[in-house]
Amino acid sequence: MFFNSFAFAIFLPIVFILYWFVFNKNKSTQNALLIIASYYFYSCWDWRFLFLLVFSTFLDYYTGIQIEKAKKESIRKFWFWLSISVNLGFLGVFKYYNFFADSFSDLLNGFGLQTSPLLLNVILPVGISFYTFHGLSYVIDIYLKRIKAEYNFVDYSLFVSYFPLLVAGPIERATHLLPQVKIKREFNYQKAKEGIFQFIWGLVKKVVIADTCATYANAIFDNYSSMNSLSLLLGAVYFAFQIYGDFSGYSDMALGMSKLFGIDLLRNFNYPYFSRDIAEFWRRWHISLSSWFRDYLYIPLGGSSGGMAMKIRNTFIIFLVSGFWHGANWTFIVWGFINALYFLPLLLLKKNRSNIEMVSLNWDLKSVNIFFNIVITFAITCFAWIFFRAKSIGEAFSYIKRMFTNREFNFQFLANDRSNYELVSMIFVFVLIEWRSRTQVEPISGKWSLLKLALAMVAIAAFGTFSDYKEFIYFQF
Amino acid sequence: MKNFLIYLVKIIGVLFLSLVILDGLYTLVFLQSKNRGKIETVFNSGPEKYDVIILGSSRANNHFVSQMFEDKGLKTFNFGISGSHLFETSLLLKLMIERKYKIKNIILDADLSIANFKQSEGVSAKFLPYIHNSNVIKEHFMSEEDFDALYYIPFYRYIKYENKIGFREVFYTAIHKKTNVLENLGFYSLSKNKKGNMKNDIRALKPIQNKYYDEIKKICAENHINLIAVMTPMCSNTKGLDYFEKVKKIYPEIHNYENAVEGDQYFSSCGHMNDAGARLFTTRILNDFFIKK
Repeated sequence: MFFNSFAFAIFLPIVFILYWFVFNKNKSTQNALLIIASYYFYSCWDWRFLFLLVFSTFLDYYTGIQIEKAKKESIRKFWFWLSISVNLGFLGVFKYYNFFADSFSDLLNGFGLQTSPLLLNVILPVGISFYTFHGLSYVIDIYLKRIKAEYNFVDYSLFVSYFPLLVAGPIERATHLLPQVKIKREFNYQKAKEGIFQFIWGLVKKVVIADTCATYANAIFDNYSSMNSLSLLLGAVYFAFQIYGDFSGYSDMALGMSKLFGIDLLRNFNYPYFSRDIAEFWRRWHISLSSWFRDYLYIPLGGSSGGMAMKIRNTFIIFLVSGFWHGANWTFIVWGFINALYFLPLLLLKKNRSNIEMVSLNWDLKSVNIFFNIVITFAITCFAWIFFRAKSIGEAFSYIKRMFTNREFNFQFLANDRSNYELVSMIFVFVLIEWRSRTQVEPISGKWSLLKLALAMVAIAAFGTFSDYKEFIYFQF
Repeated sequence: MKNFLIYLVKIIGVLFLSLVILDGLYTLVFLQSKNRGKIETVFNSGPEKYDVIILGSSRANNHFVSQMFEDKGLKTFNFGISGSHLFETSLLLKLMIERKYKIKNIILDADLSIANFKQSEGVSAKFLPYIHNSNVIKEHFMSEEDFDALYYIPFYRYIKYENKIGFREVFYTAIHKKTNVLENLGFYSLSKNKKGNMKNDIRALKPIQNKYYDEIKKICAENHINLIAVMTPMCSNTKGLDYFEKVKKIYPEIHNYENAVEGDQYFSSCGHMNDAGARLFTTRILNDFFIKK
């Protein structure tokens, strides 16, 4: 059941009505309903993996309590490492086992030892990377005595399984979400309206931008050997907008619908393509994951405290792990590595925190410089996305090689029966809208909101892609 | 909550109104379409007279050279549509009759399509803008599963088939951008394709008593149209060529020309002849049916 599906359009209003009109007596009934709805939502993909989700929830709930109750450090450590190993074990088996087995076999084959790896025929449970990280952060926080263990199983289950964030985040923190689920939510008209605006804008990003860009990006990436330089260049740009529209659109829909239930989720995107350097980009892109890695990997590794060498080492580690988190393929690891390389000059020049405030442009020389920096940052981001999108590293290199050596720059008619200029115009309008609304969460709220909402809905109906592409990219992670 | 529910009702109202307006606008544009495709052209045309009309899939579209009929003094148009099934062919013929076309002969490509009674969504979508403007179209779609949604929910058909009748097509129709579909009297010539796949496997196809073929036969009989149903050539490297004999058993009146043109040099791909092949085949059809001996 996708957020942009007909089934979800039925599911959401039913849950909303039950939540505010039937199960609104106290927070326990509200939470119980949301848990049932979340489990139903998850089981729509594959009910068998519901057991995995419930087991993972129970494990972290139980170990969290045991860590808190333990008097001896050794017992605390035992429960802590048990939770960490089982969580990462699940992730390892379902997501990474085949990759490691394959890579190890390739390595042995490289040395002349012919092996055929024993691969598992399992599908990746939807959202496993997200809910595992939820659980991990909770257990780590208890272990480090940042938070108290949650003794109410329903409340804890909701923290892990809440359907708006269950399959593709944002990756919530116990300190942010648990306090909200522990009190009865009262209906707030303004918040609900904001929720509608954000949900609809997310849908625009998904079906108008991401899904349309997907048909073009697929037509170019799948036929890159017959594409000219301009098309290959545009293919990378289209994928950049596809993944942005897809993931930030999903996050907007998640945050928006959650507001309808009176719950605020962490902001996940903050107009990343208007970043002036790569450090700013990573403060604005998939914020909940970046901050997770910062708090649970970068800082425990020593962060920036041990001098430049340690800073660089730790930066490379978190980018490589972040790349690997996205998928069990060398392409994602290379993507992470490239981003770490982009980061390097900023670290060496100590400029990784120089663009903190919101970007603005005026008619002056400084603004030309800022504009230039935005374009450069976007360009290098697109370059890295080629590795993220390509099926293999070899394909990514061939794509890049052709992009630089073909040297033909005319608009081509693509395999999806469309021409590049049609989408370029649409992206241009989208960028203008985003630029004008970069100081707010979405562009619909404010003056004339009903009119803007109507225009957004017309855009979805008239310009949306409904026939070719539906799935959210981040569901595979 | 009351305010929010009122707001939701407003949103739903605005959405419904927007969809009705969009539906009206799109339909209005498609009602002006005359140079984009064969279906739109037929729908927006008046009474016409033809000696020969060619109907069917790409195997009609690419195999019958209309000009060669014209050269023999026969007013001809090739209405074959690539990707279409007999569902669409039958509907197109019904539309022609509704538009009071006077047709003497119909050459129908009836071979691989006999195995299929389902609609070809990519082609049938082209009829949908007119579903409220034509009883023939409405009735033809009535037995389809999603008829109610297509007919009653404003703009749903334009959303569902946005890649065929969505904004892009509306825009090009509005600016009267021509396609090449109507050139060469509807015949689309294929070039010799060196990389063409000269093998095919049609063993999975099972000919059936096809209700749309029966419908076409009935319409022709009622309107005194001479129906010439033919099976057109395939390349020799086709597995399951006995399919054509099976069709012949069910429908003995369909003329089997499966091996009328032989040699890969006459084919663009296994199921489609190139221009040379089409000319050879058209000559044969002209000789067999239109030149008095």
